[in-house]
Formats: sequence, structure tokens, C-alpha cells
Amino acid sequence: MTTDQTQAVSTVSETLLHLDDVCKHFHVRGHAGGGRATVKAVDGVTLDVRRGETLGLVGETGCGKSTLARCMTRLYDLTAGKVTFQDRDISRASRRALRPLRREMQMIFQDPYGSLNPRRRVGSIIGDPFAIHGIGDRKERKDKVQQLMQRVGLNPEHYNRFPNEFSGGQRQRIGVARALALQPRLIVCDEPVSALDVSIQAQVLNLLTDLQQEFGLTYVFITHDLSVVRHVSDRIAVMYLGKVVEVARTDDIFEITRHPYTKALLSALPVPDPDAADSRERIVLTGDLPSPINPPSGCRFHPRCPKAQEICSREDPPLLPVLGDEGTHLTACHFPLEVGESLRPRAEASGPERGIPR
Amino acid sequence: MSMGSSDVRFDEDVAAEVELGAAPVEGRSPWLLAWQRLRRDRVAMVSLAVIILIALIAIFAPVFTHFTGHPPNQQYIRQGTTTSGLPLGPNGKFWLGTDNLGRDILVRIAYGARISLAVGVVATLLTVAIGVVVGLAAGFFRGIVDTILARLVDVVLSVPFFLVAIALVSIAGPGLTMTVLVIGFFSWASVARIVRGQVLSIREREYVEAARSLGASDLRIMFVDILPNVLAQVIVYTTLLIPVVIVTQAALSFLGLGLQPPTADWGGMLAESQTFYTVAWWFVAFPGIALLVTTLAFNLFGDGVRDAFDPRSGR
Repeated sequence: MTTDQTQAVSTVSETLLHLDDVCKHFHVRGHAGGGRATVKAVDGVTLDVRRGETLGLVGETGCGKSTLARCMTRLYDLTAGKVTFQDRDISRASRRALRPLRREMQMIFQDPYGSLNPRRRVGSIIGDPFAIHGIGDRKERKDKVQQLMQRVGLNPEHYNRFPNEFSGGQRQRIGVARALALQPRLIVCDEPVSALDVSIQAQVLNLLTDLQQEFGLTYVFITHDLSVVRHVSDRIAVMYLGKVVEVARTDDIFEITRHPYTKALLSALPVPDPDAADSRERIVLTGDLPSPINPPSGCRFHPRCPKAQEICSREDPPLLPVLGDEGTHLTACHFPLEVGESLRPRAEASGPERGIPR
Repeated sequence: MSMGSSDVRFDEDVAAEVELGAAPVEGRSPWLLAWQRLRRDRVAMVSLAVIILIALIAIFAPVFTHFTGHPPNQQYIRQGTTTSGLPLGPNGKFWLGTDNLGRDILVRIAYGARISLAVGVVATLLTVAIGVVVGLAAGFFRGIVDTILARLVDVVLSVPFFLVAIALVSIAGPGLTMTVLVIGFFSWASVARIVRGQVLSIREREYVEAARSLGASDLRIMFVDILPNVLAQVIVYTTLLIPVVIVTQAALSFLGLGLQPPTADWGGMLAESQTFYTVAWWFVAFPGIALLVTTLAFNLFGDGVRDAFDPRSGR
């Protein structure tokens, strides 16, 4: 979130989780075309998650963020590709083989109402990881659970309550406590604050940040909320239609935006200063997100891209450093943007060029 | 001024004390909430009282023998029938009259309640047990397991129940166990369907995914995470299934496929009354009323349970 942290991370750049060309396709039946079809939810993602960092994963709804999260944690079987966690290839590991690994990687879910079993007491929900992995006896588990509840800011006395007796923010804290129970290395947060009020969002985000420092956690932080991701992430990966189109350190994403899609996405970020808001360039993409059942050929963004040319519909651009970027800044685009370049079609871009929207 | 401020502080102290002195935090479970709603439902509570009363009558049936001095199968040919051998109407000695063999209808109804309730409960539990296991497996594993079980459900649902019951009884012979097994093996399919549908939707919930991401086994997910969420539906269906089973049992007895004479049971009594109802209304009326009241009580109670579990379903 700050440069200090980014630097701290770059010194410990050991890879914790490595995704190599990961694909997840779903077979669906009876869609409009009739017969069987394949939804390419995630289609060839290569990504590193480094120890101790927070990797933000952004993209609009339906771009495959959550599917990718479930591929990382192997809740889904992969269609193709490889997932390496702590130097172990887990892409084909069976559920049994994955069990010990579950202690190392956890998830926090989006819906604080859906992710807690309504028929179970909170103490039993948070104690679930201990019960599943056979840790401690009843008494020890209860103590541990109450410590966890205390740590995430819940009243340990509420041990015997049910999820329906808590507010959304408190429920998300319960989810955090559950994910934290086994002291994992990696926590994949799937839109952990999207369902919460803004004031509560900040509390939960601060809790997550504190816990990261206290336990040396690594986060993969999935969200469609750019202000949130900017606040928490060391690096950001931007997804579009099942592919990563740009990865870079958080500051680089915002200041040296390379991919036209990233630029369009960032231009939607609200700006607190009304003058700056008026003067900045707003890029409104035309058209809808194409269906992942039949994704566009070549670069998937080309039908909506103002800079698209003929080659974009033919060739899928590889994810590489472009325009002399460092090795930490990767972009998948045939015509990456220069710093300060406008995305507006030339005829319209009559006004004075503005800098990067902040 | 100072008075005022001390007053304020006093109030705060009281508030703090109330907070501290509060009862230990005990969660209000969904079950408890449902029970609290059920308790406010007058019809359901009256029905429950009737059910309990019938259960007490069944349990203490020998008491009726004690006070009347009439065992359930004792035939009082001389005192209990008219000179022409017809049943005797209600009188001081036989409060609800006698049947064609001079047996006390009151005592026989009390003993008959034992059969009805026992079969109603045992056969329903058997039905629900099979249905829940099959439905849980079909909904959870889906795929080939689901296909096979769904076909099995279709087959069982399309079997003509009474025809097969008659065939089975003629092969294996009638009796209490036979009645329970026949009812159990032909009623589970609808339970399985309900459970399967619920499981299909619940297995996609995030808390199931959360359990999986913690490394929980299939069995644990099925019984710890999914089953408790299906249970409300199952309980509602169970309370509504009991009266159906009681009536089915009576029907089997009525057709001579259930218990054999001289065992006192409501269906059998109704069957025996057929030739006499023109001259002895009590012979058909009292066992019929017993059956009606019992099934009505269970049905109304079941409705109450359903409303209690789902207050939004309304009336």
C-alpha cells in the first residue's frame, strides 16, 4: 500500500504461489446455441504471488477473478496449467493429498451471510478448522476460538451465538477468524468487503492489514473496487475475460498505465477533488463484456479497444514488459500506452492532453 | 450543577452494571426461534395437546381395562350383545358400546391407539431415514449416483402401492412388521425427492465451499454442514407424513392386510363394522372419530411446524 511496504516486499521476493498457464473451462448445456458449450472462465493465466505481499486482482464482474481464486486454492480442478504452492506442484493433487495443504492456504469469502452456516454456533464455525484437522481437545479448541474472536474484534462471550445474531461486518470478522485459525501462509480474499458498508469496509481492511503484519500473511485480494485495491495491494493484476492483461506494482499500475483496458478501468475511479474530476479524461467503453463462451479472437479486448488494429483480432499479445518497463511490469498489448497518452479516438481528443487520472 | 452531574454518572453506572450483570450470552438457535413461534400458534399447541393425550391413552391403555374390567379381546357374548346377537349401544357398562362379538369398543380403541401411533411413528422414521440418506447422496454426489437414485425414485413412485402391498402380504403373510416395512419401502421416494432438491441448492452455498476449503471430508460436509439445513424441511414433512402413514396402516388393516384379528386396531375395527353400521352406529363412529381426530391433530400440528420454520410462507 505504501512505497515502504513495496520495497520491503521486493527484498523478500520468494514466490509462494505460482500459476502457470492456468485454464478453467466449464461445460454448460442448453445455452442459446443449443447443445454443449464451453465457458472459458479462466484461460491461460500465469501469475506469481510472493511471500508476504498483497496481490490485488481486479476486473469487472464475470472476468473470472473468483474462478481463478478457486483454482489457486484448488477448490476447482484445473482444465489445464500448473499451480505450484511452496514449490510443490498441486495442480493434480487429490482432495486427500490437499488436506494438509489446506492448513497453509485459506479463503475469505465475499458474502458474509452465505459463508457462515446459519444452523451452527459461531464457536463451532470458527473451531471447524481445528475439528477437521484434529487439533486439540474440546477445551483447547474453545480457548483458541475465543482468542481468535478476541483478536478479530469480536466479543469472546458471543461464542454460543448464531450467525443471524451478528451484523455484516461482524460476520466477516467471523470469516476472517476462521481463515486465520490454522495460521495459514496464504489467504485468498474473494471480495471480502464488497458486501459491507463503506465505514465497515475500512474496519475490516484495517483488520486484515494488521493481521498481515502480525502473522506474516500473504494475501491475494480479489475485488472490483479500485480504491480498495489501491489501498491494500503491493501489486495489482488486472483481469479481462479470463486473462491477465497487466501486472505491476500498485503505483506503476496507476502512474504508468500500459494497457488500454486498465486505463479505462482506472478512469472510472472516483476522484475526491471536483475540479480534477471535471478535467480528467473519462473513458467509457462501448459494448458489453463479451461472452466467455465465445471469446473474441486474438486480443480479447480488441472489439472494445479504441486503439485496436487489424493485428489485435489475429494475434493474442503475450504478457511481457513493454516500452522499456522493468521486469515487474507486464502488459499483454500490441499497442501499449505511453505515459500521458490519451485513449480517446484522435478526432475527439481536441482538448489539451491531461495527465493520468488520479 | 453538581447534583446534575452526579445524577448522570449514576445513570451510567447503572447501565454498566446492567451490562455486566446480564445473563451469560446464549445464542438463540434457529430451532429455538422456531419453537418460540410454534408456541404462539394456538391451533398447533391444541393439536399437540391432543396428540399427547392420544399418546397417553395408548401408553395407559391397560388402565381402561382396569377401570372397566374388560380386556380388549374379551368377548361378552351374553352381557355385551342383544338377545338377537347384535352389538350393544353405549351404556353404563360399555361406555362406547360393544362390537358384534360383545367386546368393549372403548377399550379396543385405547389399545388400537397403540398400533396406530407405533406404526405411524416407526414407519415414518423408517421412511424418513431411507429418504434422507438417498436424497442426501443423490443431491451431494450428483452425476451417476444421482441418475441411478433418481431412476429408483421414479420406479418406486410409479409402483401401484396397494397392489404390491396385497401381493407382498399374500406371499410373506400379514403382520405388524410387514405393515411397517411395506409402508416404509414405498413412501421414502417423495422424501428423497424433497431432500435431493434442497441438497442441490445448499451444496452450492458459500459455507459448503468454506468447509471444503478447510479440508473437510465429504461425509463431514454432508452431515455437519448440509444435513442440519435440510432438517427443518424434513421435520415439517415428517409431521405431515405421520397422519398419512396412520391412515395407510388403517387402510391396510381394513383390507385385511395388516394386523390379524383379534388384535384391536382402528382399521380392523372399521372393517368389522361394515356389516353392522346400519344397526350399530357406534361401532363405526367411534373408531372412525378416533382415526379422524388423530390424523387431524397431526396435520394441524404439521401445518404449525411448517409456519414456525418459515414464518414468511404466511397463511
